[in-house]
Amino acid sequence: MTAAHTEGGGPAAQGPALRVEGVTKVYRRTTPGDQLRTLKSALLEGTLTRGLAPENAITALAGVSFEVAPGEAFGVIGGNGSGKSTLLKVVAGILRPSAGRVAARGRVGALIELGAGFHPEISGRENVYINGAVLGLSRREIDRRFDDIVAFSGLGAFIDEPVKNYSSGMYVRLGFAVAVHTDPDVLLVDEVLAVGDEAFAHRCLRRIEELLAAGKTLVFVSHSLDLVEDLCDRVLWLDGGRPRLLGEPRRVVDAYRQAVAEEEGREHLEAKARSDSRREAGAEGAEEPERDETGQPLRWGSRRAEVVSARLLVGPPGEARERYHLASGEPVAFEIEARAEEPLGDFVFGVAISTPRGTEVWGTNTDLAGFTPRGFAGRARVRLVCPALRLAPGEYLVDAAVHAEDGSPYDYRRKVFAFTVTARDRGVGVYFPEHRWEAEGDLDWEPPALR
Amino acid sequence: MLDTAVELARFRSLLATLTARELKARYRGSVLGFFWSLLNPLLLLAVYGFVFGYILNPRLGDVEPYAVFLVTGLFPWIWFSGSLLEGAGSLLANAGLIRKAAFPAEVLPAVSVASHLVHFLLALPIVAGALVVGRYLGHPVGGWGALLLPAVVLLQLPLVAGLALGLAALAAHFKDVRDILSNLLTLLFFSTPIIYPLEAVPEWMRSAVRVNPLTPFTLAYQDTLFRGVVPEASLWLQMALVSLVGWAAGSWLFGRLKETVVEAV
Repeated sequence: MTAAHTEGGGPAAQGPALRVEGVTKVYRRTTPGDQLRTLKSALLEGTLTRGLAPENAITALAGVSFEVAPGEAFGVIGGNGSGKSTLLKVVAGILRPSAGRVAARGRVGALIELGAGFHPEISGRENVYINGAVLGLSRREIDRRFDDIVAFSGLGAFIDEPVKNYSSGMYVRLGFAVAVHTDPDVLLVDEVLAVGDEAFAHRCLRRIEELLAAGKTLVFVSHSLDLVEDLCDRVLWLDGGRPRLLGEPRRVVDAYRQAVAEEEGREHLEAKARSDSRREAGAEGAEEPERDETGQPLRWGSRRAEVVSARLLVGPPGEARERYHLASGEPVAFEIEARAEEPLGDFVFGVAISTPRGTEVWGTNTDLAGFTPRGFAGRARVRLVCPALRLAPGEYLVDAAVHAEDGSPYDYRRKVFAFTVTARDRGVGVYFPEHRWEAEGDLDWEPPALR
Repeated sequence: MLDTAVELARFRSLLATLTARELKARYRGSVLGFFWSLLNPLLLLAVYGFVFGYILNPRLGDVEPYAVFLVTGLFPWIWFSGSLLEGAGSLLANAGLIRKAAFPAEVLPAVSVASHLVHFLLALPIVAGALVVGRYLGHPVGGWGALLLPAVVLLQLPLVAGLALGLAALAAHFKDVRDILSNLLTLLFFSTPIIYPLEAVPEWMRSAVRVNPLTPFTLAYQDTLFRGVVPEASLWLQMALVSLVGWAAGSWLFGRLKETVVEAV
């Protein structure tokens, strides 16, 4: 007997619990004039999307393929509109793929959006039965599970209230309770755990872990990257409906974080370029100081010397590249490009880092470091090099300045750029030294999983 | 067209649950709940009975008493038209269910048909009462033919279900369908021999009324209930044919449009 014959058979059957093959989903954008034409094509060809003009077709998913093994937790990440929810709906059988195939072994339980398939006008109790019937359970099978479902949801007497009176947390709790108590072989969960309270989220996670331990399969879509990384065995990163990266959670999540930070960095550079060009244009006329969103000036000073630009270089010396996201502990250099029209004998370069909320993190300058200025005329690049910048994860803003030894500014530029720091574990504050936990004595614990 | 039937059979427990819910919602909350659902057909009956049987009272032929004749055709019609009107809107009305869960969409129009069928069956005692009163007044109404009523209902069921499915799928894509439908139903009502016997139609128009797909069913209801006789074989044949075609067309349409219903609602 070949594998193909045993597939879909009893518990002994091996192979993936879920197979997604080249799934593409095209939505149509409808214009009223199209309606009859598309109706004709639907009736004659059995599709509403074939032969659609490209400008009327929106590709939500393009050629997505993956397999999920029994007992595996599979995560899907990506920005808004990347196709995550569409993928889940296709896997759940709510939407039919425009091309490709989805094959799931066993019962698929889905919890997609709030109140997955609840009828608002009727009671939670009746909805449980309807939901169960949709999943293919008989009335008696639901009877048997009913008390467990209510207990898990924590709804108590509310179970007999119409669902429309539920809070969003209650919706999710009931939806999740039904989804996990109907013995799904493949459980699809979309970004819903965030709605319930902390205690319920923990209960859900414990239940998910139990299901995984029992050999069930999880497909998990979330914006909570930490949760995805903790929970999932493999992660797929969707970008504009296309699979961008698939693999080990840490690698994929880090790559995704990096791309998001790069995108933010690029936006920041563009904003900077815009403000630079605005400044140059403004230099002709009356000089209006640029201001930040709180009305504070972004730049001041006599301009006897100027900070032309400032940037962040990340990486070891020789390999450093300009970027604005880094892992805590990476080597960096803050580089200031400066210009002095007339020769100056008195100059100090300074850099300061602060948080977006205004907390000063660190600042230093060449005077504090003990440099004695001799002369500066024309152009120069000045770099503040840190072999390891150990900042806590978060976003930081940088000020760069050139001023006189007595502190009077030539050119002080606030928020000249921002950068983002990521790190493996979390902490409070801004400082993130290398660290580990040790203990002796009568205690027992499980160290964090090796990452 | 078999696919849809198989799906409906697979989800019969869901169908039953939803139908029971629908009925409960209708009858809940008041002692008179059940009677409210009879009020609408009774009101129609009273109005038509008064207007056509008393005010106009033209050449109606041998349909005495008129109210009894009317009720035997009117109640099945209410089942038919109610099922189609509600069924056509059923996918739109339950968009939340089919968009968020792998909900078998075919169940929803079927629930409309089933719940209206139950209303029809629950209204049958009125028909029976009318027949008893008719007999008591000395008219030769009713008879053993009434035993064949279930057969007529079962024969009509595929027609009603098929049309409800097809209309539901169409209405999900084209919102105008429901408006068009209510007008078409008005037209259909008056071209079906419900408020008048077929014999009262002028000769030259009779064939037009005969091609109306609902005519054989209405005649069969009048035969089994009003006259209490067994409908002719040709009538059975016509009903079977119409029902088969109606189911085939409706479920085919539904199958074709099913894929995009979720996106359309």
